[in-house]
Amino acid sequence: MTSSGVGVGGETAGDRAATAMGDAAAGRWEVLRALGSVSRLAPPDGAPVLAALGLPGWSKADHTRLFVLELPPYASIHLGPEGKLGGEGSERIAGMWRALGLEPPADCDHLATLLAFYAHLGESSGACRTAIARDRLEHARSVLLWEHLATWLPGYLHALSRDPTAGPWCDLLGAALRREAAESEAPAGLPVALRDAVPPISDAFSLDELLDALVAPIRVGFILTFTDLTLAAGQVGAGLRRGERRYALRALLEQEPAGTLGWLGQHASAWAEVHGRGGHVSTLTAGWWRQRALDSATVLHRLSDLARDASVPAASPAAGERGR
Amino acid sequence: MSDQHSGQPDLDAIGQRVSAARSATEARGETFYQGPSKTMLAAFPPIERWDDWVELDSRAWPKRVEHHSMLVPTTCFNCESACGLLAYVDRDSLQVRKFEGNPLHPGSRGRNCAKGPATLNQVTDPDRILYPLRRAGARGEGKWERASWDEALDAIAARLRAAITEGRQNEIMIHIGRPGEDGYTERVMAAWGVDGHNSHTNVCSSGGRTGFQFWTGIDRPSPDHANAKVIYLISSHLEAGHYFNPHAQRITEARARGAKVIVLDTRLSNTATHADYWLSPQPGSEAAINLAIARHLIATGRANWPFIHDWWNWQEYMASCRPESPQTFEAFQAALGELYAEYTFEFAAAESGIDAATLAEVAEVVAGAGTAFSCHSWRSAAASNLGGWQVSRTVFFLAAILGAVATPGGTFPNAYNKFVPKPIHLPPHPKVWQELSWPLEFPLAQNELSFLLPHFLKDGRGRLDTYFSRVYNPVWTNPDGMSWVEVLSDPDKVGCYVALTPTWNESSYFADWVLPMGHASERHDTHSYEQYDGQWIGFRQPVLRAARERLGETVTDTREVNPGEVWEENEFYIELSWRIDPDGSLGIRQYFESRAHPGEKLTVDEYYGWMFENSVPGLPERAKEEGVTPLEYMRRHGAFEITRGQGALYAEEVPEQELEDVRVSEIGRVYTAAPKPETLNVGPLGAPAPDDEGRRAVGVICDGVVRRGFPTPSGRLEFYSSTIDGWGWPEHALPGYIRSHVHPENLAGDEMVLLSTFRLPTQIHTRSANSKWLDELSHTNPVWIHPSDARRLGVARTGDLVRVETHIGYFVAKAWITEGIRPGVVACSHHMGRWKMTGHDHVSAGGMMATVDLAQGPEGWTLRARERVKPFASSDPDTLRIWWSDTGVHQNLTFPVHPDPISGMHCWHQAVRVGPARPGDSHGDVAVDTARSRQVYEEWMARTRPAGTYSPNGTRRPAWLMRPLKPAPEAFLLTTP
Repeated sequence: MTSSGVGVGGETAGDRAATAMGDAAAGRWEVLRALGSVSRLAPPDGAPVLAALGLPGWSKADHTRLFVLELPPYASIHLGPEGKLGGEGSERIAGMWRALGLEPPADCDHLATLLAFYAHLGESSGACRTAIARDRLEHARSVLLWEHLATWLPGYLHALSRDPTAGPWCDLLGAALRREAAESEAPAGLPVALRDAVPPISDAFSLDELLDALVAPIRVGFILTFTDLTLAAGQVGAGLRRGERRYALRALLEQEPAGTLGWLGQHASAWAEVHGRGGHVSTLTAGWWRQRALDSATVLHRLSDLARDASVPAASPAAGERGR
Repeated sequence: MSDQHSGQPDLDAIGQRVSAARSATEARGETFYQGPSKTMLAAFPPIERWDDWVELDSRAWPKRVEHHSMLVPTTCFNCESACGLLAYVDRDSLQVRKFEGNPLHPGSRGRNCAKGPATLNQVTDPDRILYPLRRAGARGEGKWERASWDEALDAIAARLRAAITEGRQNEIMIHIGRPGEDGYTERVMAAWGVDGHNSHTNVCSSGGRTGFQFWTGIDRPSPDHANAKVIYLISSHLEAGHYFNPHAQRITEARARGAKVIVLDTRLSNTATHADYWLSPQPGSEAAINLAIARHLIATGRANWPFIHDWWNWQEYMASCRPESPQTFEAFQAALGELYAEYTFEFAAAESGIDAATLAEVAEVVAGAGTAFSCHSWRSAAASNLGGWQVSRTVFFLAAILGAVATPGGTFPNAYNKFVPKPIHLPPHPKVWQELSWPLEFPLAQNELSFLLPHFLKDGRGRLDTYFSRVYNPVWTNPDGMSWVEVLSDPDKVGCYVALTPTWNESSYFADWVLPMGHASERHDTHSYEQYDGQWIGFRQPVLRAARERLGETVTDTREVNPGEVWEENEFYIELSWRIDPDGSLGIRQYFESRAHPGEKLTVDEYYGWMFENSVPGLPERAKEEGVTPLEYMRRHGAFEITRGQGALYAEEVPEQELEDVRVSEIGRVYTAAPKPETLNVGPLGAPAPDDEGRRAVGVICDGVVRRGFPTPSGRLEFYSSTIDGWGWPEHALPGYIRSHVHPENLAGDEMVLLSTFRLPTQIHTRSANSKWLDELSHTNPVWIHPSDARRLGVARTGDLVRVETHIGYFVAKAWITEGIRPGVVACSHHMGRWKMTGHDHVSAGGMMATVDLAQGPEGWTLRARERVKPFASSDPDTLRIWWSDTGVHQNLTFPVHPDPISGMHCWHQAVRVGPARPGDSHGDVAVDTARSRQVYEEWMARTRPAGTYSPNGTRRPAWLMRPLKPAPEAFLLTTP
């Protein structure tokens, strides 16, 4: 029984072509497919692949924590305006499948599918008999890389690599991504997802609007995990409510608005530094994310100040002192 | 691993290592990238881990307690889809822990509806029958004693042997429900020389089948929903209740691609809620709508004229019906326009109650489908109306006009997508004709007139010495069930009644023998159904037998592994046949003997091993690749796909070697003297008659080439049926519209139409009633009433009791006031109203059967609930958690028989009067006057045109028509009274 990936994970024409191309070329695509697959396959299913990659194993619980609860590896979460699965973020990728005459799989924006698709395109272009066909597939692979992987994967890997269990996998995938970028010319313009992204947050946002934006990376330029919120709760001295991130964040903001907003501002500033540090494979993309994080930091710090002011009654001496 | 100079990982080396690991894994036939299947919906255990699959016990959390299971495939035995199941057999206890989908099954692709996993409930049901039982008191008294299988077999075999040797073959009958297998039981009867096959099809799908058969010579369609642009469904029945899972998943895929779904269903069904167009027509008007769409396609130039020219029998039509006209295709085109000119959208609107503009919009959608038009009509309208068979005939008319026949996204004849492997023995056709199933009045009936059996017995047309019901419940399922009770209680009419059943049911109470048969995981069968454009076979097997064999044990009798002494039909019939003919002198035993060891008893291993080795193309080669025998492969995988993408088989050229001493008829039918090549696929289809000199029909001339054509008399799609014309019904020889018995002009002013044919996707008649999960989901059947009707009738609230009066009695049910039903129509679902009689305390389906008082008085029969369902103690603690008491009403008891004079289908729709319940009425009450039911039976029999008067050739029935267990040619001849 061979497995799937709607033709991108199992035996394909590309696979057969890969064999013909020789081990080295085949290995280039296989390592990407393998790195993607382990983000989807919990042990024991993915254990042989991890071993073949030379990576340390992880437990089923670790895998669930990392890839299901903390940071699900879907492009739509990072590029969609709502920071959720599906919608615009995945439709854009599905459209690419359809443009190539393929039926998009249900989870076409999952990292495992994206990398398997990328590998499939690479293998298939090597097997093309005509230059036109090869160029078409090479173009598609380039689009996949710059529009649908390089746009969000570096930030994602940074967020995930803070967990020591995932570090080696993140490092290896980061290296593989950099190599792919090095062998492909970066486009002159911004990727569509960033170019058409909704505007950054503003002071005029209601609480609900702000909460919606804070859990959507593309809105604020940073990734906010539940682990981050745990850290924030400890630092601002508020109780952490268990639940989805938006729910927990609302609870923090209602308990300690100024402190929480201030922490979020610092978080945004830290992410602006991350984006500027060189983890991205495209300077344009890095610049966009950095600016988005800086914009967020500015607004969040300002909101924090406003919240601090609003929380202190004018008649209170202590408030007066604090206000000075 | 790093590049020593840069500190970066050596990606090339890692990649090569991964490639090598993948190659090595896949070379072992295992899976490197495990996880999501091709369906992308769920992760399935890869097959190489099916011997020891490990899961953690969720109830032991936080402890990590491992469950080790063997995963053994089988197929579901609830509805007829035969979806793949995977039994999780605990390696320690060797008990089945759960059932999930079999990802290797080509039809269901790992998915199941609720009924599949609920097989576990059926297996562990505390009320199931575990041992052979013999009646101890009077019939129906409820007294039983345990017997041995030997006692049962010897007693029954003695009766059968006597009937056969005394020339009373027609006193033997086996009445099956949904077969769930392909032909085993038919061959048993053929081996006995008995024409005793009786099915439930004339209360199920024969109306739908008839319309397809007269077009294509094959009685089922196979819509390629997944690739369709437009999916056109007359009722949602098939897609919500029968082939629910395999079809629904493909409709879902088509919708995701943008396909449009059109559903004609008077009731808002599950499928209708997902439709782009839901049309709620006046019941019985569906054919009028189809014809209006057909007219639109013809009138607006959207007909596929090249297809019609090549593949319709228009020449035969012109010669037979318009001999005075030029015999040209142009003349036929003009005639076609004239024939359907009256079916305007306005006409269809007047008949259906759906406005003409909506119909016109739908017609345009259909027109846009081109050859990617998949359509289906099965039960509901086709099974409910006088002339309902014209509903499916007019549905296929649309496909035929568009040329959407056996095209991608079109509608195939089911035989293209079905494979019935030739078995180890093929006994000859029986030489007798069973008049009780195939009476002269219905020469064109699609299937046995099963639901008329009580009336035929009361008529004195014959008697039954031994009557088997096989996983079937005639008292409950058929209309007019009290007439069944009367004949089953009468030893003069039914000498011995043997119920082969896993569970108690309303019919088995009246049996002489109750013999326990296995559920989906306890029996062997093979099957193949049309679910996409491909052919596959599925293998049902006793999973504990397969599991023990994996552990190295040898099992020779399925009773060794089944609960109690539950058996399976395959082995039962082999054993019974040996006891009928112990020395082989009757010629029966030979068909149940080993081929490898003549004179020894055939085993199921040899039976299926031979079939898989010799009759399934590609399977032996595939098995060899895995180093196993074909039987081992099927025990391991549970299914095998033989072909995919059959395409337009009718257009294939007939090979030269089949063309010998050829004759061509005036209409282009080609006959050959060459013998028919041996085929491994013995699936049913029409058998066109040979020419006068005995040459067989082999194809048709098309473009000067002999092509295979269709298995119809003309070899083409039969727009005009010479069969219908020739057997006394010339007015219905073309696709047409017959006004239903419930057409408004046939209803009294205060009558409404009752729809009773719809199913719930969570139950399947009475077969699933011993599934506690399903019972909890669905256990009652309120009467759907539109709010405007509820106001008019004085029904104030949902839940109020209503009395529904039919022409032979009434039932009392709860009302459900909903806009999901058309005004003027009420509806009540299948499956519900299960009962057991007071005093039959030890027989039950505890979660679904009310205890009733069944009484017969001068006014007829009454059935009143004495005690409703309630919690009870049993070996299953869940029976103490039953929270419902309402199990609905058994409405079928109150329906008189309505045999369609052409198809033989029971026309289920009822003309009823509905009003608030009366004082003393109680939910579930039923009253029936069987004397009145006799009158209705006679009224409908008067509509028939018997073969004795109308047969054009001195036979009982057109020999080319399909018929289960077809008798020998001489049995077709009419005998002189």
